[in-house]
Amino acid sequence: MPRKKKKKEGGAKLEMTPMIDVVFQLLIFFIVTLKEQDILSRLDVSRPAPDPDAKPEEIIQDMLDITVYNEGFVIKGRKYNLQELDRHITRIASFSRDISVIIRCTGDSPHRFLVQLLDICAKNGLTNLSVFSL
Amino acid sequence: MAHHKQRMTEGCECDMTPMIDVVFQLIIFFIVTIKLEETHNPDIELEYAKHGPVIKEQDPRTMVIEVDQRGWITMHGARMSQQQLAQVLQGRYNRMGVFPVLIRADHRTRHQDVRRIMDTCTAIGIWRISFAALIEKKM
Repeated sequence: MPRKKKKKEGGAKLEMTPMIDVVFQLLIFFIVTLKEQDILSRLDVSRPAPDPDAKPEEIIQDMLDITVYNEGFVIKGRKYNLQELDRHITRIASFSRDISVIIRCTGDSPHRFLVQLLDICAKNGLTNLSVFSL
Repeated sequence: MAHHKQRMTEGCECDMTPMIDVVFQLIIFFIVTIKLEETHNPDIELEYAKHGPVIKEQDPRTMVIEVDQRGWITMHGARMSQQQLAQVLQGRYNRMGVFPVLIRADHRTRHQDVRRIMDTCTAIGIWRISFAALIEKKM
């Protein structure tokens, strides 16, 4: 009698091999299809009302006017490369962070210049940014 | 002697329970984190901007507009003209008012193509526009 009982217990064992096969297949599928998301940053700008001659004289103080063209940046008629621009903006931002930055982009300028400029502004804590298109 | 031999062959099975536990945990993790639907245009290469605020929990109302280096506008993988974009934005604006706009533009895109999107946004009354940039690129 006790011998019979033992035999019954042994027969209840499940065959695990197919399940493990399938589970490993699934695991490999998920590992292969996994794609990590890039870490993105967000650069906020404001797009001013399309009436450029609204109040031209009111905003002259505390304003930094930067033109972005297809080869770089221009401030007050002087060309800047990225390093010079970084130094210039850092110096200006050390006086005041409330300064308004007016960015004027020409149509043929690549978008990366605008992003690089916005990155410098973000680094220096300048948040009052407006983008105009030329 | 024969009895001993049989026991040897049977006894080679090891305890699978912990391994199966771990494997199931892994599978559940992958099922939960998988994103089969590609909602972003894979051709767009963003410019790096490491100092901008990180996009963690994006506002669910955010409308992501993509523009590639040819100036083609896409939204959720669907290409659209400027008129169609204006209709979509206007419809959304009428339903829910001002909503955040995030522009994912390729670093080679010319500003005039980005400008078309910004002009469309300002025409319906959205003045705040965000640009997406890379902090860290994953594989």
